[in-house]
Amino acid sequence: MKSTHVVFVAGRVARSLRELFWTHLLTAGIMAMTLSVFGGFLLVQDNVRALVRGWSDEIQVFVYLGDGVDPAAGEALRARLAAYPEVKSARYVSKARAWEEFGKTLGSQSGILEGLDPGTLPASVDLELRSGHRSREAVLALVRRLAALEGVQDVEYPETWLEKMRLLMTGIEWLKWVVGGFLFLVAFLIVVGTIKLAIVARQDEIEIMQLVGAPDGLIKAPFVIEGMVQGLIGAGLALALLRAAFSLLTADLLAPFGALIAGEQFVFLSAAQHVHLVLMGWLLGTAGSMLSVKRHLA
Amino acid sequence: MIQLHNVSKLYPPDNTGVRDIGFQVEDGEFVFLCGPSGAGKTTLLRLLFRSEPVTEGQVIVNGRNITRLKGKGLAAFRRRLGLVFQDFKLIPHMNALENVSLAADVTGVSWRQSRRKAFALLSELGLKDRYGALPPALSGGEQQRVAIARALVNDPELVLADEPTGNLDPEMAEETMRLFARIQRRGTTVLIATHDYRLLRRFEGRVLMMRQGRLVGEQYTAGAAASP
Repeated sequence: MKSTHVVFVAGRVARSLRELFWTHLLTAGIMAMTLSVFGGFLLVQDNVRALVRGWSDEIQVFVYLGDGVDPAAGEALRARLAAYPEVKSARYVSKARAWEEFGKTLGSQSGILEGLDPGTLPASVDLELRSGHRSREAVLALVRRLAALEGVQDVEYPETWLEKMRLLMTGIEWLKWVVGGFLFLVAFLIVVGTIKLAIVARQDEIEIMQLVGAPDGLIKAPFVIEGMVQGLIGAGLALALLRAAFSLLTADLLAPFGALIAGEQFVFLSAAQHVHLVLMGWLLGTAGSMLSVKRHLA
Repeated sequence: MIQLHNVSKLYPPDNTGVRDIGFQVEDGEFVFLCGPSGAGKTTLLRLLFRSEPVTEGQVIVNGRNITRLKGKGLAAFRRRLGLVFQDFKLIPHMNALENVSLAADVTGVSWRQSRRKAFALLSELGLKDRYGALPPALSGGEQQRVAIARALVNDPELVLADEPTGNLDPEMAEETMRLFARIQRRGTTVLIATHDYRLLRRFEGRVLMMRQGRLVGEQYTAGAAASP
């Protein structure tokens, strides 16, 4: 395309954006809502992931030992388990120590333990896992190996919690694509409609341009660029909206939960996610306008 | 040079249109297509600027068969034509200068060059002080002169005009026709469709008579009003 054509197209786009300002703004607004919802899911997903990561730091696996395992054998097992690559730290807890710690846990209610046999609780080796080995699959694999060890009576780990978190993450992922996908479709159709309006509004002008021999690309380009501009403005608005909502929520409503997240604060979208959202807006606007031009500009 | 060989354009369901048209126009000729409303003049012009495909026959302009032209080839062909219409076909939100330079802009000449050329043409056609006016603020005659300026801005080899005086008062109609005569005298081929026989016989040229979609005769007018 020649430089004069670029100036020509830019002038056409500017004129159309001015003349159909409210229509274009409405479309950009709808795209902004769509991208905000999608971006919102990304935000929730990232923060839940951070939350899970924070909680995962505290995941412990309790290896309960049989009654026949004496303290020396228990200590030997601790040393053996501490050498596992998955294990960050291992602590042997004798029956007496377990009883003592349980009493401390009960605090003022510890009186209820009086009269009970201090050997009731089993000895255990409590394991803290390294950060790369805290996924559900990794923990399950370790648990299977531990359960097969001699002297081990039972292995306990936060299975339900891990499963729930996994389900929550999967749910968010699905919702993101189902709800986001539906909204994308709606926004896409609205872009097609808006560009159709622009084409109809300029039908006479298009006919005149064809009569004076304007190349096809020169006639179509302004409409496609309008769609792109709508998409970019929509993405910009969506990011601004998300930022505002994020600041508001984290400052007032969710602040008390911040401590539960790794790094003790909520995280906003990354630079890459910013770029992704802008690209999605651009793609949405471009695809919608191209389809409209193809269907409505003979 | 324009050549039409057995050209027909028929519209369903009753096959109205033009039938079996054949004629030739030499370079630099001044030709009128004349006939009553419904004779097929506009259809024939539309075939000449390839706004519609022929049903049969061939239309050859400057040695090129244009009957199957489309896309880039069609756009390039139209950039070498000057088209003028009864309803002017000006873009209402663009001023006179922009309307004229539009036709130059699409060819890719520089913005400055297209404005300069458009302004020169508007000045030549007596619209020097009206270049910034929007079409609704111009009289019919002024709008037609803007349309003619647009038709001339790319120095076309051929100007086709469809009832260019249809919306003008008699005085302005004659003035507009004089303008076309002037354009023709510069060497441009001019073909005008009109039903106003009384007006055209005042100008020197060849008249192709049409009736009910057929070419029914040909004559030459001596002209008396061609000089400005």
